[in-house]
Amino acid sequence: MTAHWEKCIRLKEPLLTKPFLLFAGLAALSFLLALYRELTGLGYVTGLNDGYSWGLFKNWNVTTLTALGSGGYAVAVFAWIFNVRQFHKVLRTAVLTSLVGYGTGMLALGIDVGRPWNFIWIANPLTWNQHSVLLEVAVCMTAYFMLALDVENMPPFLERMYRSGDPKKKEWAMKIFNFMHKTFPFGIALAFILPSMHQASLGQLMYLAGSRVHPLWQTALLPLLYLLMAYILGFSCVLLVLMLSSLTWDLGWDQEILGRLAVIMSSMVALWTVVRFVDIGRRGALGLILTFDRYSLVFLAETLLLLVPALLMLLKPIRTRPSVLFQLCLLVAIGGSLYRFTPTTLAFFPLGNYRYFPSVAEILMSVGFTSLGVAVFLYAVKKYAILPASASKVAAETALQPFDTL
Amino acid sequence: MDVNRRDALKALFGGSAFAAIASTAVPVAKASEKAVEPEVDAVGLLYDATKCIGCRACMPACQNANGLKPDTGGSGGLYQQPDTLNSHTKNLIKLYVADDGHERSFIKQQCMHCVDPACVSGCPMKALHKEGLGVVAWTSYLCIGCRYCQVACPFNIPKFEWDKVNPKIVKCELCDHLVGKAQAEPACTKVCPTHAVVYGKRTDLLAEAHRRIKAQPGFYFEDRVYGEFEAGGTQCLVLSHVDFTKVGLPKLDKESAPAQVRKVNDFIYQGFLTPLVVYGGVAAIMRGRWKGHLSEHEHQEHEQTGAEGKKV
Repeated sequence: MTAHWEKCIRLKEPLLTKPFLLFAGLAALSFLLALYRELTGLGYVTGLNDGYSWGLFKNWNVTTLTALGSGGYAVAVFAWIFNVRQFHKVLRTAVLTSLVGYGTGMLALGIDVGRPWNFIWIANPLTWNQHSVLLEVAVCMTAYFMLALDVENMPPFLERMYRSGDPKKKEWAMKIFNFMHKTFPFGIALAFILPSMHQASLGQLMYLAGSRVHPLWQTALLPLLYLLMAYILGFSCVLLVLMLSSLTWDLGWDQEILGRLAVIMSSMVALWTVVRFVDIGRRGALGLILTFDRYSLVFLAETLLLLVPALLMLLKPIRTRPSVLFQLCLLVAIGGSLYRFTPTTLAFFPLGNYRYFPSVAEILMSVGFTSLGVAVFLYAVKKYAILPASASKVAAETALQPFDTL
Repeated sequence: MDVNRRDALKALFGGSAFAAIASTAVPVAKASEKAVEPEVDAVGLLYDATKCIGCRACMPACQNANGLKPDTGGSGGLYQQPDTLNSHTKNLIKLYVADDGHERSFIKQQCMHCVDPACVSGCPMKALHKEGLGVVAWTSYLCIGCRYCQVACPFNIPKFEWDKVNPKIVKCELCDHLVGKAQAEPACTKVCPTHAVVYGKRTDLLAEAHRRIKAQPGFYFEDRVYGEFEAGGTQCLVLSHVDFTKVGLPKLDKESAPAQVRKVNDFIYQGFLTPLVVYGGVAAIMRGRWKGHLSEHEHQEHEQTGAEGKKV
């Protein structure tokens, strides 16, 4: 029973549901722990040490979650540049996943750095070290969040303003909307170039660590592999969110759109795998894959978790079965996240007897920041017209969208 | 469809025009310095493991010179006994003993003061930087505490004050607050009774190391100086009679990691030309797409007569 998604609707559902309260509660707990961390020091709440000085916050909340949050970037590239018209229907969902992914990631980064007050110097380009890849990531991510993601997420918000009944608000909404209409192509171009740069740089970060990263992962192609993985994970996250939402709120199942997203994602997994293996072969490290030590097992897990579901999804009879499609996407998301996580942690040589396992407080905080993203998502889809729905649902819920050009 | 293709072509030409403008406007960044040469007056240490008697006199001297609290954790509070470099130990003498108990050597651990340091290359805001005489130094007010230096350093040297609200990065800075002012050399070399570690200009130290190797061929490991070429060269040099990797000095490329990163970055960015050209190209394509999008939308709205969806 496949349907066609027509327009975005606002869910007429109660906000204070049990899942929402759970996610909000976890987020609140993480804020309390973050406060404790600010009053004591990183060592008291995390398992980080001088050997593994980057842990869950940077490697999950920043590196991995912004890749999962690259859906707004990846889907927009295909919707606008490659002109896949159907994808416009899921673009609002995609940019919202990006907003919460990047937003909570940057929040975690703010908690993770030891001397956050010195961030103010980022406003002074004279203190910049132009050679620093990390600076590029910091500046680009901030710029993307402030200049592109906020704007991309504006239309549903403006619609609400427009229909608030207050003529002044309506006028303002119109003004902003018209301005966005004029500048839109340039904004989208910015929303393309900034994530392209910082998602590649996130890979480049570990290239500087040189011999401290296992040769199966350490390569000059890290920027390319990380960038492609941002697309893959972005697609997987959008797919999972759409499918879960569709099942939870009965929005219909647009197999055409979901299938197309899955095919693009799977093709990129295939491309990524080829690039990776060719590179490893070129560096003469293929033998390391089958040594079956810790590293080889992680490598095989990554490869199989990504490649097997991707190849299966390329088969039409398989991807048209909703539950199978969901499970395969989940496997790709897990495999891709594992790849994003590995070079900084599992395949990192600390030199010396260092061990790292996140502390309970650290895990709670990391989960809490992620939950904050989920809670914001749940709030947004019940306040604004974001999720796509089938025709019957649209008619029933009066999908009034004065700004649906965006 | 046809319209779209024409738009795309137009857009591409638009993009190349933009690229042409950009290429004249942006001076292409100077061809990157492939390898960084040591400064002429660069200073460092020469540590000869075969002369070290393991008295550890350099360790309390370092604590005193730098105002650091001794780490007495390993001795139950009796005397200074750190097991690794840490946030209050910038200098450490360690003993390596082979499993058979015969081969043994001391090793002095401290910042190697690389010629082209990874920590400096990675530091977002020049908190870690090369000072006069090539010393790698840290400035508190520019440090955001991101700890990228700890991830990047091939020797795992910079340490972080995990238990502080206002944490610092702690590492040897060659007593740069004393040398040339209160004293002529760092605390560790000043107290060393056997001159196992000496301070001087890197060129002099290298010459001295090679003189020692020449005087006793086959005595030192591979007849070479660790740090002459490793990681693009370090200003602190090590001579040892045992395998360097056994005493914790990793095997490193002659080309420093920062030089490799610069190469990849220069290839990708072409002096920031790439992002500008791509931006221009995408903006040009987007202008075409946007027009098509709007006209299609208007078309649809005409079809759905009535309703409040009037063009705003």
